[in-house]
Amino acid sequence: MQIFQALLGGLLQGGFYGIMALGFSLSWGVLGVINLAHGSLVLLGGYLAWSLFRGLGLDPFLGCLLTGPALFGAGCLLQRLLLRHLIDRPHLQALLATFGLNSFLASLLKLIYKADPRNIPLAYNQPIELGGLSIPRVRLMVFLIALALGLALHLLLRRTGMGRSIRAVAQNRNAARLLGIDVQKVYLWTMGLSAGLAGMAGALLAPLHPLHPFLGAAYTLKAFAITVIGGMGSIPGALLGGLALGLIENLAAALIPGVGANVGVASSFAALLLVLAWKGRGNLRAPPADPV
Amino acid sequence: MSEALLLGLTQLLMLITLASSWNLISGVAGCVDFGHAVFFGVGAYAMGILTTRTPLGFAPGLGFWPALLAAVLASAAYARLLGRLTLRLQGPYFSIAMLGALVATKELVRLARPWTGGGSGLDLPPVLDRAGDLAFMAGLCGGWLGALALLRRSELGLTLLALREDETGAQMRGIDTAAQKTAALVISASVTGAVGAFWAWQTTTLDPDTAFLDSRTLDMALCCLLGGLGTFWGPPLGAALLFGLRELLWSRFLDLHLLLQGGLLMGLVLLLPDGILGRRPR
Repeated sequence: MQIFQALLGGLLQGGFYGIMALGFSLSWGVLGVINLAHGSLVLLGGYLAWSLFRGLGLDPFLGCLLTGPALFGAGCLLQRLLLRHLIDRPHLQALLATFGLNSFLASLLKLIYKADPRNIPLAYNQPIELGGLSIPRVRLMVFLIALALGLALHLLLRRTGMGRSIRAVAQNRNAARLLGIDVQKVYLWTMGLSAGLAGMAGALLAPLHPLHPFLGAAYTLKAFAITVIGGMGSIPGALLGGLALGLIENLAAALIPGVGANVGVASSFAALLLVLAWKGRGNLRAPPADPV
Repeated sequence: MSEALLLGLTQLLMLITLASSWNLISGVAGCVDFGHAVFFGVGAYAMGILTTRTPLGFAPGLGFWPALLAAVLASAAYARLLGRLTLRLQGPYFSIAMLGALVATKELVRLARPWTGGGSGLDLPPVLDRAGDLAFMAGLCGGWLGALALLRRSELGLTLLALREDETGAQMRGIDTAAQKTAALVISASVTGAVGAFWAWQTTTLDPDTAFLDSRTLDMALCCLLGGLGTFWGPPLGAALLFGLRELLWSRFLDLHLLLQGGLLMGLVLLLPDGILGRRPR
């Protein structure tokens, strides 16, 4: 029974990972930029939701409707000020710049919110008992929101003009430019969506795990591992990869004695290396998959 | 010389040595290593464990020099192991896999409580000899820069430059690029590990967060980018400038330290990607 409980916990944990990875995967697939500050954007969303909760008593499930748009704006700003100038340069430079941005955001968060762990306690977080398993209510809600966001992003990319433009640019940015698509505008929207998803993920993280300003790198690594497992630029890939990572972490914590929840990054690192070894070496030159 | 001056100079030499060792793998070989601070931590912990604790049931209680040698070997061996796993990966995949190695190693060190003291860390025997510290770092830094100058003209150095520019081309000329990159990582990690071991000896206390400090990689990257990534004199120049900036300006705003460094890195990439001494057209 304990193992089923661990499996269930992993699946539900994977919902949050899926939302986080959706945004990471989108900017990587469309802009070709690996955003090392993605985890810090998630934390920024989480701290905003915490402020809304403490200041206005706003529930984080409503707060995510505000942190999402707020981070959408931050993503557009990031694109205008920084990434726009780096997209056509060697990959290394965007990596270095977002690495710097990550430190910048982490220390900004530490200045504002101090280094104490912050979390949002929710009164209705009693588990639902079902057939011997206890289902954490908040995690279940986050899981369902992850599915809904995946569907919404799918519809956005398939049914709207901007979505079609984003997919066109992901497939071939030069051809898209020739067809009259405003590529810079597509980049702006993509970074906005990517950061907006990070902001929503952050708000949903706050009731699940304590926030700490320097956890950004760990979340970025998890998003990277998920994206490699699931495939860059794929919505089902991000969600399924998130579930896979949640399962791996929870099983490692349940099966290896004395480990507890402390191997979050170690197990995703191991999973990442295994998948990369299995798929062959990571190859950025391959054309990105069509974001479904 | 005053204590503070001795300590400051020692720190400057440490920064120069770290930056130059990061430059070998990231600038010369072109494999940007975001987790290089892991070797600093491994060296520091090797020094800590061998001089104080009783790992595996025996009490080494070694002196500085044998422990230093062991720390260098430990860092080199860890680099060999990690390199086998990560250096097959291309570009950004390598960079991020190494960042993962840093965070994962920190977690494992925290878990291995019987050997590493877990989250509370280790205390080393206190030895206060600021002049001796400076002499050691001057020797290490001078020796490393000398070795680096020779290395750059050696076959390995030229091979690394070649594979940075065109890895496929180098492979087609019969170069085992994975082996060459592993050699660069092992050499670079040994020096970083030596600095880490010295740091542990000098600081006399270490825990996972200080030994595997994420921002140490940022320091190294910043020095190299400021001076010129891949150049010989770039990292020392960048280290001296960064150190001067810190002492003159930022020491008054300790809280803003990381904020300013992160901002500086973004600004450099945007405006001066080849650094002060870099002239390689991109």
